[in-house]
Amino acid sequence: MAAASPTVFLLMVNGQVESAQFPEYDDLYCKYCFVYGQDWAPTAGLEEGISQITSKSQDVRQALVWNFPIDVTFKSTNPYGWPQIVLSVYGPDVFGNDVVRGYGAVHVPFSPGRHKRTIPMFVPESTSKLQKFTSWFTGRRPEYTDPKVVAQGEGREGNHPEAEIPKAAWVCLCPNQPG
Amino acid sequence: MAEVHVIGQIMGASGFSESSLFCKWGIHTGAAWKLLSGMREGQTQVDTPQIGDMAYWSHPIDLHFATKGLQGWPRLHLQVWSQDSFGRCQLAGYGFCHVPSSPGTHQLACPTWRPLGSWREQLARAFVGGGPQLLHGDTIYSGADRYRLHTAAGGTVHLEIGLLLRHFDRYGVEC
Repeated sequence: MAAASPTVFLLMVNGQVESAQFPEYDDLYCKYCFVYGQDWAPTAGLEEGISQITSKSQDVRQALVWNFPIDVTFKSTNPYGWPQIVLSVYGPDVFGNDVVRGYGAVHVPFSPGRHKRTIPMFVPESTSKLQKFTSWFTGRRPEYTDPKVVAQGEGREGNHPEAEIPKAAWVCLCPNQPG
Repeated sequence: MAEVHVIGQIMGASGFSESSLFCKWGIHTGAAWKLLSGMREGQTQVDTPQIGDMAYWSHPIDLHFATKGLQGWPRLHLQVWSQDSFGRCQLAGYGFCHVPSSPGTHQLACPTWRPLGSWREQLARAFVGGGPQLLHGDTIYSGADRYRLHTAAGGTVHLEIGLLLRHFDRYGVEC
């Protein structure tokens, strides 16, 4: 934790991807990764992960619980490029193919302490009806080659995602900024 | 120079009568402000809500300003447009809000409005689409010449903006 220069600071992120609500889908798993600017680098922990596959609970909540831990520490000299966590949720479709059910991203909170964030998720949609049908039929739906695109502001104009209002919730026990 | 980091998201919009919305946003600052990193303007994706009426964009904003003065504190201006199945775009609302001035995370709800035209234009808009738009984008965030307009309310844009301030105490500004 020794700082190379007085302006280096550390950001420690602890938490979990708690659960999700997707009324229409079941048997889902999620992947998380962090997107950050050039001045940032992870120093400890894992910056990516894949969770278990979970099924909906049988009670009224219909919750999909992952309880998937996140534990990573970043170091940086500049708040620009503050890390964002990108979540991608995948599940089987009618034919058994693994398709993407939602992408979402949110900035890691700035202030130390415990925070809970509920993230809306969206999927890219084909623009023509024929493409929509063939992608449903073959299981090859539009998908981002790199989910990190979701965390960037540029180049979104061509996208036409549909928002699945069902959201993933996560809790972050946040950061300490020593050094 | 004092520095300001504006880091957050344009979360989405609610209360618009149209679905399939996208938002063009920009930040306007005074002459004493300089943008060190980040994109000053952008456009979100088009979002069609499947459940409920709120369109979610989750569009990230990350800006780093340096400034010599408080005048011209950044203002975020927004234009919400709807896109129909033929790919035509129609204005749904204009709005602006000031970037908050206290450090921390803030939830902002920005109301929007759109210009109404004459009764003929309103009728045409109901049937065919289109409708009047502003010629000069700066009317969205400035008060001059607003008296000429007759407008109707649009929906609300929801933003979550976090603010980090640096070196303001050197200039005698308490924050």
